Amino acid sequence: MPDYAFMNQRLFEGDEESVARLTEEALAVGRPALEVLRDGLIAAMRVVGEDFKYNRIFVPEVLLAARAMKAGMAVLQPLLTQSEGAASAGTIVMGTVKGDLHDIGKNLVGMMAEGAGFKIVDLGTNTSADEFIAAVREHDADLLGMSALLTTTMVYMKTVVDAMSDAGLGNVPICIGGAPITQEYANEIGAAGYAADAGSAVQLFKRLTAEGGEEVSASVGP
Amino acid sequence: MRPKLEILETSLVERVLDEAFSVLESTGILIESEDGFDRLRQLGLPGDQATRRVTFPRATVEHAVETAPSGFTLFDRSGQPFTELAGDRVHFVPASSALRILDRSSGVVRDADSADFVEYARVANRLTHIAYLSTAFIPKDVPSDIADGWRLYLAMASSEKPIVSGAFTADGVPRMGEMMSLLRRDRDDLAARPCSIFTCCPSTPLRWAEDAIRNLLDCAEWGIPVEVVPVMLLGMISPATTVGALVLHSAEVLSGLTVTQLVRPGTPVLFGGAPASFHMQLMTNPMTAVEALQVYCGYAQIAKHLQLPCQAYMGLSDAKFNDPQAGAETGVGMFLAALAGFNSVSGPGMLDYVNCFSLEKLVFDDELAAHAHHYMRPVEIKDDLPTRPLLDELLRENHLLTAEHTLEHWPEELYLPGPMIDRTNWDQWELQGSKDHRQRANELIDEALTDHDVEPLDPAIDAEIRRLFSSTCEESDVSLPELPG
Repeated sequence: MPDYAFMNQRLFEGDEESVARLTEEALAVGRPALEVLRDGLIAAMRVVGEDFKYNRIFVPEVLLAARAMKAGMAVLQPLLTQSEGAASAGTIVMGTVKGDLHDIGKNLVGMMAEGAGFKIVDLGTNTSADEFIAAVREHDADLLGMSALLTTTMVYMKTVVDAMSDAGLGNVPICIGGAPITQEYANEIGAAGYAADAGSAVQLFKRLTAEGGEEVSASVGP
Repeated sequence: MRPKLEILETSLVERVLDEAFSVLESTGILIESEDGFDRLRQLGLPGDQATRRVTFPRATVEHAVETAPSGFTLFDRSGQPFTELAGDRVHFVPASSALRILDRSSGVVRDADSADFVEYARVANRLTHIAYLSTAFIPKDVPSDIADGWRLYLAMASSEKPIVSGAFTADGVPRMGEMMSLLRRDRDDLAARPCSIFTCCPSTPLRWAEDAIRNLLDCAEWGIPVEVVPVMLLGMISPATTVGALVLHSAEVLSGLTVTQLVRPGTPVLFGGAPASFHMQLMTNPMTAVEALQVYCGYAQIAKHLQLPCQAYMGLSDAKFNDPQAGAETGVGMFLAALAGFNSVSGPGMLDYVNCFSLEKLVFDDELAAHAHHYMRPVEIKDDLPTRPLLDELLRENHLLTAEHTLEHWPEELYLPGPMIDRTNWDQWELQGSKDHRQRANELIDEALTDHDVEPLDPAIDAEIRRLFSSTCEESDVSLPELPG
């Protein structure tokens, strides 16, 4: 039986090499991939989420743990997709909207979401509606995330929302965020959700994605 | 190097001191008590019986400055070393002797009683950045002639931390000295391991009042550390200009320091002060006036030139309530005090010209003190010069959140404030209950009171201290209040 407590501890400490090796060792002794995912990786990320919520650890430690989680996931991914269903909590296409080059917040959301088990397709900055639509189609995305820092560029979010609808992708939930964005604005342009910070964005993604349940994702937000 | 503020050229410091020495030697100080005057004469100071002015020969004052320690250690209630007041070590401590408190429940200003004082002392004991306590306000449920000692007792019973205190009456110091010596083997042990600093105030201009000179002499005889705190009003009872005010201020502090050293060489003395401005329209005395802040920073420099520890009444506010004025005046004062290197900064918790104490303000000021301390950390190379490797990593990874350098340094470099400084965004704030500063302060106060874990005083010591007050209470036909459990 693998020592999952030890594996959890290594993940908690952000030791990606050990997590990858321990994941391989668990599989080598015949443990099912879903068990390794649940008991070795997600259990640790649940502690990470709790500790972050109660100010026992902070953003850098969460990201290190998320990176270690990703290392373990890289080992598990082929097995899970082949035989036991998708391991990802969902695929999110995200980008900063056209005209805007500010991506710090968007990157943080991406990293936190990745740590929670989402697959992130990051389109970077200055992203047009066409680029968003193409990526959503190409990756069969479960969710689209957009960010903007400027009041002059946030209006482009409505352009993307409308274009997604016109392209027949109105069923893909769209989440928006950024300093000038509010829940009211999200409602106004028909976005499915808004989050004020990276932690609550991850919670929002989990609520809005079909596969984003507790079984395959872990909370990293408050 | 440590961030610091100097506002005087060294040559000007020396000229101010020359002038102060000259004032002491020629004009001297009025001693408003025959006993005090006689005692100073016995100590060797020249004096004129008719005018009751004592003069201070320059050599005597200079010798006193040499015998006064450049720093000293304060000890806690149990006699363990607590902190050192020396160099540029800064300590924030509640201001003293308010007449009223701002009730934290009702928001109304009212008289305080012993239960209020115990609550204050327990909270101050828990606050990390409030270095030690003061006898911050005056409980009105005991006779006024024992209120000084009673406050000290309440603080001693509620906290392990040292206490800034002082006497209101001529015979206050011996009684309080006896109280404190009960915590030690004897008087000599108390002098060797002091748990208190006593405030002694000359009366500007150039006077020591009857009670004040007696208290100063008694403190020196007991070996109790003293902060000499002139309270001048710029433009009224001192020159309106900074340099002239500094001369007067220095002369008054040095008069007190010299007396202590003549009585007991080596008595710790803080070069203190509470200069205020005089409001030429309202006739009030703003303690936080911007010109007074300049006098503070000037005399800190003079104290450091003389290699003496220093004290200031900064980090308080003249506002009536915890409003924007209170925050601004307190924050500015604390940062200037820290930059000037004051060893003991009396101010947190105080409003309204040192007349009103607020526990809510104290917990807010504890956070400001943390900010000031954090700002004062030395600026030095921390694995960040050369910088290019870090920048290369930043450009490669798009962030440094998980960089080794960040992981090693952020916990010390990036200060995370407590709840009194709101760093939430609007949504987080709403999610957490939309609490205003009073709600957050009262939550911290309640938490501190719940967590109070200071052992009560030894029952024998407690009984002996209460006995010291009993005769006064019998005369006044009042009972000593019982302390809250």
